Amino acid sequence: MKDRNLDLQSGRRQFLKAAGLGSLALGAASSGLVVSRPAQALSTRARIVIVGAGAAGIAAANRFSRELNGAEIIIIDKRERHLYQPGLTLVATGLWKPGKVIDRNDRYMPSNVRWIHDMVSEFDPEANQVTTGSGERIDYDFLLVSTGLTVDFDAVEGMSPELIGQHGIGCVYDNPEHASRTWTMIDQFLTTGGVGLFTRGPGGIKCAGAPLKVTMLTEDLARRRGQRDAVSMVYNSPSEGLFSQPDMDQFLKQEFPSRDIAINWNHRLVGIEPELKRATFATPNGEQRIDYDFIHVVPPMRAPDPLGNSALAWQDGPFADDGNWMEVDRATLQHARFPNVFGAGDCVGTPIGKTAASVKAQVPVAVENMLAIIQGREPVSQYDGYTSCPLITGQGRGILVEFDYALNMVPSFPFINPYREHWVPWVMKDRMLLPAYNAMLRGRI
Amino acid sequence: MAFSLFGILAVILEAIRPFLWLIAAVVVIELLVLFRLLGRRGHAWRKALRPALLLGGVVMVVAVFIGPWLTSAGFADLVGLLDWLSLIGGSIAAGLVAALLFWPLLTLVGGRRA
Ligand SMILES: Cc1cc2nc3c(=O)[nH]c(=O)nc-3n(C[C@H](O)[C@H](O)[C@H](O)COP(=O)(O)OP(=O)(O)OC[C@H]3O[C@@H](n4cnc5c(N)ncnc54)[C@H](O)[C@@H]3O)c2cc1C
Repeated sequence: MKDRNLDLQSGRRQFLKAAGLGSLALGAASSGLVVSRPAQALSTRARIVIVGAGAAGIAAANRFSRELNGAEIIIIDKRERHLYQPGLTLVATGLWKPGKVIDRNDRYMPSNVRWIHDMVSEFDPEANQVTTGSGERIDYDFLLVSTGLTVDFDAVEGMSPELIGQHGIGCVYDNPEHASRTWTMIDQFLTTGGVGLFTRGPGGIKCAGAPLKVTMLTEDLARRRGQRDAVSMVYNSPSEGLFSQPDMDQFLKQEFPSRDIAINWNHRLVGIEPELKRATFATPNGEQRIDYDFIHVVPPMRAPDPLGNSALAWQDGPFADDGNWMEVDRATLQHARFPNVFGAGDCVGTPIGKTAASVKAQVPVAVENMLAIIQGREPVSQYDGYTSCPLITGQGRGILVEFDYALNMVPSFPFINPYREHWVPWVMKDRMLLPAYNAMLRGRI
Repeated sequence: MAFSLFGILAVILEAIRPFLWLIAAVVVIELLVLFRLLGRRGHAWRKALRPALLLGGVVMVVAVFIGPWLTSAGFADLVGLLDWLSLIGGSIAAGLVAALLFWPLLTLVGGRRA
């Protein structure tokens, strides 16, 4: 069998160091244990508004509701159903049923939080006010923005979410119904054979591992079905890399060719002609058209318009150009110009971290720092950029990749080597991450 | 990102939440059996220990064999010490739990027959 493991001396040294430190950290954490909350809730009459009831918003609402006494906590979001988005990759590759990723927000909503079932259409941080779609103006003393992001289907000419599940088009980034239709397309592609194009939007996208996982799982399924020779697979990267963490980038640059997955560098999907099954890519040599039988469309992503067009967004610089992301201090998650405003989750403009794993690390920091501000103290809690991705390389195997702003590996479990494929990360992805996500929603981890 | 014991317990609670009714039913049955066994001599318990361990052993062996399959994987996906230790460790735990659950039941059944 070919050696599909990384053999990186520096990586191994780092792992051994991290393993030692990790054991110490785990030991320290488990000796101080069980009590992870302050003994006494903070008394305040402050009004806290949370915009967005996704992973970050609900986790923050649960923490505020326990840590504050007398505060008025409001959460604004029209969406009633809660989607476990990390499961969409498994739905789109036929490994999970769509029902497994669908839940209800009210199951996690604390009783002392007022939920306004509407969307914010305008942020006015100068007036400490947000306006909802129905025109209601809501004042706040403190604001947490956790709107997630918008998948910009319009940025790919000819593309719309309704096309997912037709003309060989799949996309894992929309909703469970469309993930399920993506599986229908992949299933068909594996039966009939042909050319499969796999794409990735440029810039910051949520779970940058997902397009890679869809590619590797499709390849794995083709092999399992004895159809590998019937399908030709091409991954189109909009840059000269596959993954932001350098060790993983190196691994994937060996892994894809070894599995006969061709890579087109600097190929950004800009258009699609569904009837003709033809995709257009912007490349350094001009536009290139490629015919396909299956295409995994991953459009660019940006902050939702009400946020991106507001004063809360970065006004210039790379995070403004990339997706109008919200301006926060990358460590404290406090807004640079509006100190009573914090951000968490996919909407913030930080170098990395659009994952649920990042949300798990960000929310306690944002909440703790907002509590500090409420008490008139300095925000000292810091987010180190932690992000994680169980990089599934095939059904039954994966690599548990965890890293920080410095792009150093920071393994949570010192005994799991982040440089090697294993069954255990697959079991975690398949069985343990949904419970961990739900525990995060309840503000328990 | 280190998990505290509190955090690990919170995750386990979420993992078993859908089966809490089943776990509660098993616990109630075990408690009823234990209640009926109150005052039963040590001899009956000792006699039931061997078959309980045997059944636990069977559960353990079955768990080793079906463990990967239960996770939609295969033995070929177990690629190192970590994977094998996890499978064997998990199977031993399943076997021990099964033995502990069977023990009172077998004590009760054995006592009736005696
Ligand atoms: C296919 C896929 C695979 C993934 N895989 C992984 C993985 O393996 N590991 C991992 O850690 N993460 C993964 N993620 C990423 C993870 O799901 C997200 O990072 C996480 O859900 C972000 O949480 P959030 O609260 O910022 O946004 P969301 O959970 O998207 O919630 C945002 C909420 O804000 C609401 N909202 C938006 N605009 C407004 C408005 N104007 N007013 C009011 N409310 C608004 C929305 O309705 C929504 O409910 C994956 C995501 C996808 C799509």
